[in-house]
Amino acid sequence: MSAASPRRSSWTNGLFVTPYLVVYLVLLLYPLLAGVWLSLHKADLFGGEAFVGLENFGRLLRDTVFLQAVRNTFYFVLLTVPPLAVIALGLAIALNRPTRAAAFFRGVFFSSSVLSVTIVTLIWRLVLIPDGGLIANVLHMAGKPPIPLLSHPDLVLPAIALTTVWWCLGLPMMLYLAALQQVPAELYEAAALDRASRWKTLTRITLPSIRRTLVLVVIIQCVLQFQLFGQAQLLTQGGPNGASRPLVLFIYEVGFRRWDIGYAAAASEILFGLILIATVLQYVTTREKEAVR
Amino acid sequence: MRALPRLALIAAAALSLFGCSRPHDDVTRITVQRIFGECRSAGAGARNPDGECEIITGLLDQFQRENPDIRLKVNIAAWPGYDQLSAQFAAGDPPDLVTMHMSAISDYQSRGLIEPMGPGLESVGVDPAAFTRAAREGVTKNGQVWGLPFDNWAPLWHINLGQFRQAGLVRDGQPVLPTSADELLAQARQFKAATGNPYLVQAMANETASYTRNLYTYLMTQDAVFFTDPKHIKLTTPEAHRIVALFKQMYDEGLTTKDQDYPAATSGFMNGDGGVYLVGTWMIGTFEAESHTPGRPLADGYAVVPYPRLFGTKDAAFVDGHAWVVPHRDRTPAQRAAVYRLVKFLADHDYDWSRTGHLPSMQAVIDSPRFKALPHRQAIAPLATIGQTLPPQVQRQFAIQDIIGDEMASAITGRKPIDTALADAEHRVNDLLFHLL
Amino acid sequence: MSALDRAAGRNPWIDRLGWAALTLAALVMVAPLLWTVGLSLKANGELLRDTASVFRGPYTLENYGSILARPAAFRWLANSLLVSLCTTAGVLALSSLAGYGFARLKFPGRKWLFALVLFGLAVPEQSVIITRHQLFSALHLHNTYPGLILPGLAAPFGVFLMTQYFKAIPVELDEAAMLDGASRRQVFWKVLLPLTLPAQATLGIFTFLSSWNDYWWPLISATRSEMFTLTVGVASSQINFAQTSGLGFLMAQAVFASAPILVVYVFFQKYIVRAVSGAAVR
Repeated sequence: MSAASPRRSSWTNGLFVTPYLVVYLVLLLYPLLAGVWLSLHKADLFGGEAFVGLENFGRLLRDTVFLQAVRNTFYFVLLTVPPLAVIALGLAIALNRPTRAAAFFRGVFFSSSVLSVTIVTLIWRLVLIPDGGLIANVLHMAGKPPIPLLSHPDLVLPAIALTTVWWCLGLPMMLYLAALQQVPAELYEAAALDRASRWKTLTRITLPSIRRTLVLVVIIQCVLQFQLFGQAQLLTQGGPNGASRPLVLFIYEVGFRRWDIGYAAAASEILFGLILIATVLQYVTTREKEAVR
Repeated sequence: MRALPRLALIAAAALSLFGCSRPHDDVTRITVQRIFGECRSAGAGARNPDGECEIITGLLDQFQRENPDIRLKVNIAAWPGYDQLSAQFAAGDPPDLVTMHMSAISDYQSRGLIEPMGPGLESVGVDPAAFTRAAREGVTKNGQVWGLPFDNWAPLWHINLGQFRQAGLVRDGQPVLPTSADELLAQARQFKAATGNPYLVQAMANETASYTRNLYTYLMTQDAVFFTDPKHIKLTTPEAHRIVALFKQMYDEGLTTKDQDYPAATSGFMNGDGGVYLVGTWMIGTFEAESHTPGRPLADGYAVVPYPRLFGTKDAAFVDGHAWVVPHRDRTPAQRAAVYRLVKFLADHDYDWSRTGHLPSMQAVIDSPRFKALPHRQAIAPLATIGQTLPPQVQRQFAIQDIIGDEMASAITGRKPIDTALADAEHRVNDLLFHLL
Repeated sequence: MSALDRAAGRNPWIDRLGWAALTLAALVMVAPLLWTVGLSLKANGELLRDTASVFRGPYTLENYGSILARPAAFRWLANSLLVSLCTTAGVLALSSLAGYGFARLKFPGRKWLFALVLFGLAVPEQSVIITRHQLFSALHLHNTYPGLILPGLAAPFGVFLMTQYFKAIPVELDEAAMLDGASRRQVFWKVLLPLTLPAQATLGIFTFLSSWNDYWWPLISATRSEMFTLTVGVASSQINFAQTSGLGFLMAQAVFASAPILVVYVFFQKYIVRAVSGAAVR
């Protein structure tokens, strides 16, 4: 290995990346390509397939259940990503200090992140249901009637979003905290000496300094929330009548309940396409901002 | 960091060990997969000795004790268990024996995923002629037996007699039941005026299967042919409209509980939320136990009856049933023998299972004095003759049930006009059936 | 900071108000957890009647006793730990090697290959899950530990992160070490890897948590109860009726399943925060 020089291009240098590339090719790229191929077929989970060209995609565009799932997914991203990005930022700014109290609070706000989705939904069903749920109990003490958070089509996605924000707050907060620690203390000292207001300090120093983390948080959360599955599957099964069925649950149902895996693969390609577009867009916009600076 | 590759190496080695190690000894291992939940078996101090979970756990424990040469591995799947089972079939690794609804058998049988059980049943002396008619028909496709029927079940009216009495709806110790839609509305209003509670308790959030079962039963009493052939459903009919309109009226007038999911409705009924809970045979044992617990709302009286006929002229009820099926896979002769020894054991213990409230699948058990001596069994006995299933060739009955229930819920809660919802349900079901391979 | 605040003549009341808001938010945050713990300490029969009975005694440990009586939950916990730890170790090893390779070494097709890996960032797990399931069926990997661990190793995020991090380390460091007679391998092990510790910590936590919380893949791959991870195992016992008559037990299971990792977190939180803070996410 020592003979291999970094300055000279050499096959042996490539050995460092080979283990990962093998895993990547076999477990990600191959399934992706196989999925594209599968999406062009009418295929059953238990074998048997026939080439149908783009028919599955045509079917998807006419499938109101699918279109509803796509709408739900976008709505859910809209409901979760901004609160996650903003609340986590607020918490990080407030808790970015070396006191015991701050450490305690950091622990509190991160604690839910370590729970698995099954536990989260188990807990939140008992918070959200109108019959004896925590919220219903609190409302009852205030003399108010319960709210059908999981069975009203207009409330169900916000309820799942609330659950999700509660669950996912920890990671973005940590990322922000990490970024805040990198902001040179001199900047703040200078601001304080200039008697800059809190707001000015925030907008002139803090935010510009952690701009890249902000973008990173938004990207990561968009991709994560776009793939909503467990919360909806476990809390509502996508109901009432599809009002909380996300794209991924649609794929799951078509593939493993209806066994129509060609159709499920086609829906998967659309999910892939949407995330690809989102990623490229974000890449392009961040690039442009870099260029402007 | 230096330890990293070594760690990975050790991890990999450990993994391959875990992955490949298979114990070798002279015990025959078989895997049983079931629904019905996880609990401690019925016995001293059991919470609910006649619950499905307690009884099946007790039976499998007993079989294990009596057959030390067989090692049972019990996999508990979440109801209804088909997501997991489908994944297992797709992976080529299904269990040796698995619970399956009779309505789901055609899905797996049509793809050659399960074995015909005739020869195996014969080898252990279980004769399909001993099954009840409904049970036998439920497991027979193309002239072959594909499962050991364990029970038949049907949705029923579970009644809080105490509240019925309060509303003046008890005569000679029997609940007064409606005989038409108008009577139902009148009695429900009377009930609400007297007790302040809604007449019906229904599970309608999260899971809407009970709506579909209501529709099936009342279409059957009207003798409506809603499956013209196994690939087409017809729901845009006056018969269907009538049924949905009645439940919508009940909902609009507050004559039913609202927004409860299945667990909430179940505990709600036990807590005296309303007069009639629409749920299946499997709850009889549980509610009966409640009715013997002093101080509980059901202690003032509990009754259970098949759906009263509200529409049409025919006595009919939608029924389904649980069966045990044997998936296709490689087995040693010893494993095969072990599977059928368990099948025989389950067939012999059909009475124990019927304590849950389900109808036995063995005619001899239905006819036995000890079964007749169980509470409420006389009241539900007619199910054995009036029970109907969907046409046996209809595939994807669970998916169909979800679609119809979802659309009905939309109509009943007023989010869609009834006819639109029925048309949507019809279209979605036919689309599903059309695209079956 | 407060000294600075005073220097800037800021109103301390805003601070106090901030802390009050923070305390309120923290209460909202922990309320569901306390609710869960409370439910787990009540007899199932009493909860069936009224969940509000949580707010008064008597409390019991009976539900926890029921868990101890059944070993399945321990097995699921062990499975989850094994899978998450192995996935994390694997991702760290593969990403460090590949990150170093892409950032520092030249080999034919490097740019092209790196672009290929970047492309993978846009591929959501769920869009390949059906064909991956078919692949693992063909390889007989379902219901095995490798079957649960391998998919986590394919995610390109780690390689991307480590490549960026290695690139941020000045090349002069390598060159100086090389001049001192160190081999390429020694440079990698002794000079560069220790410097990437913060990134390793970030990636490790991220990987561990996503593996620990993974639901769909173990749901369809681990279909035998002895191979269930905690996520799938708890879901399997969440049968409808159990939520009626065994509520306290289910909640005890939730507490039992969450407690170990919460304790680990509380114990290591200082180190975790410190490690993450050093990472290259500026």
